Amino acid sequence: MEERFEPPYPAIEADCCKSCGRCAAACPKGCLAISERYNRYGVKAVAYKGSGCVGCGICFYNCPEPYAIRIVRKGGAQ
Amino acid sequence: MDNALATKGMFPVFRRSGAESRTTHYCAGCGHGIIHKLLAEAYVDLGLQDRTVIVNPIGCAVFGYYYWDVGGVSAGHGQAPSMATAISRLRPDAITISYQGDGDLAAIGLGHTLQAAARGEHMAVFFVNNSIYGMTGGQMAPTTLVGQKTTTSPLGRNPETDGMPLHLCELIDALRLPVYIERVSVADTGRIMQARKAIRHALEIQRDKKGYAFVEILSPCPTSVGLKPLDAARFVTEKMEKEYPLGCLRDRSAEAPARPAPKPWVRLADFFGDDGREDPHPAAHDARERHFKFTGFGGQGILSLGLVVADAARALGLETTWLPSYGPEQRGGDAQCTVVTSTQLIGAPAVEHPELLVVMNQAACEKHLHTVRPGGLALVDATVRVDPAQIPQGVRVVQIPAIDIATAAGVPKAANVAMLGALIALDALGIPEQLLVEALERSFAKKPALIPANRQVLQAAIAHCRHHGLAGELP
Repeated sequence: MEERFEPPYPAIEADCCKSCGRCAAACPKGCLAISERYNRYGVKAVAYKGSGCVGCGICFYNCPEPYAIRIVRKGGAQ
Repeated sequence: MDNALATKGMFPVFRRSGAESRTTHYCAGCGHGIIHKLLAEAYVDLGLQDRTVIVNPIGCAVFGYYYWDVGGVSAGHGQAPSMATAISRLRPDAITISYQGDGDLAAIGLGHTLQAAARGEHMAVFFVNNSIYGMTGGQMAPTTLVGQKTTTSPLGRNPETDGMPLHLCELIDALRLPVYIERVSVADTGRIMQARKAIRHALEIQRDKKGYAFVEILSPCPTSVGLKPLDAARFVTEKMEKEYPLGCLRDRSAEAPARPAPKPWVRLADFFGDDGREDPHPAAHDARERHFKFTGFGGQGILSLGLVVADAARALGLETTWLPSYGPEQRGGDAQCTVVTSTQLIGAPAVEHPELLVVMNQAACEKHLHTVRPGGLALVDATVRVDPAQIPQGVRVVQIPAIDIATAAGVPKAANVAMLGALIALDALGIPEQLLVEALERSFAKKPALIPANRQVLQAAIAHCRHHGLAGELP
């Protein structure tokens, strides 16, 4: 299940993540990190640290997987 | 401003990897996924999704049609620009995109690439350059950097034996008609945003019918280059960009004229005239498509026989095709032709399983007899030995001494006319005798002196069949 946070935040579909690390490296706030949890493909998926996101979308555009990350912003549908 | 930022324009589930998969087949850190998202976002934002067609290459992006929710086709290796040319010309309203990697576009497909660019075709070409063959396992590509190690350049690309990297944007910039040429990268955020602008601009050019747009995208291939995802992205910036500098080489989109409205298509029937099609002959009652094949060797009048039949069918008011096939020899090679008749428009002139096969020599018998459909008829010259084991179930074989009949009449070359006589006697064509005889005589319009002898052969063959009880008992 996808975790929910106070918007804005990166909503992560862990089963889509291939652990390349592009998003975490690109995040200007350093609020993403590869987690210790394995997804159904046996990959350690990226996870949001829970705070710090400003909703800039940089992680979304760096992520090569269409559905691994989306950005939930204030007032938007979750 | 959007209140959410998510992928648009791609299928919600990617059926390629199972019913529930939402992941691509690309390796971790591959640039393709980033580019796929940018392209999908662009056609959705520009309102072009419903008329976009993407031609997929051979290479890692071969499965693009599982991901992009637009029209998708795959082309033979390197041929995407040619297929895109056809799509763009046949569907001028389509937004035509060719999406190709460096092996596909710059190696095997270089000719297609340059010719489409030279013609200034209306298409956007997205060229994903990762400096290596990805899908086939990391071989050297035309774009491989000097010194770069690949499975086929294990000591590094050596310019003395392998030449220098191929610069596609610069090559295309030498041509007159391309409207927009830019090289971008997806190695980091700033570069991705520039790539996003370039991809959108290429699609705007298609929307505005301004012409050919070429966007080269430097993209990391962690697996084949042999680096971790972040290092592969760094390799693109630190190594590839030295060889392939980023930037816009040309943008003439503002001054380029828009494509003129295409001329309306002309139907073949309009072009050739309907020739009485509206009022078919009363005998043209058989609505089914009929498939005939005539076979023998060159010089036996095989093609002429088919033409006479086709001409008679046309006179009957039927739709008709005649398709010849023969070797490069003037005489003596395999010769065959197919005739298809129908009361409806005919889709294809090819005949795989004829209901009527005419065979004039041994080789043709061995080659074609087994293709006759059950319930069909094979009319075989008596000089041909028919192996009973080769006769398909439910096929009737009738042997006619066509060559002998023609020879006895003093016109050995008229064996084909003797066959026509047998076809008439057996009523094998569903075309009235009168129309066939008239068509035969029309075929001798330039040599009227030959008509009496041929008429004699025709009548001799009809008499032969009637004498042997071969008449009007056909499928």
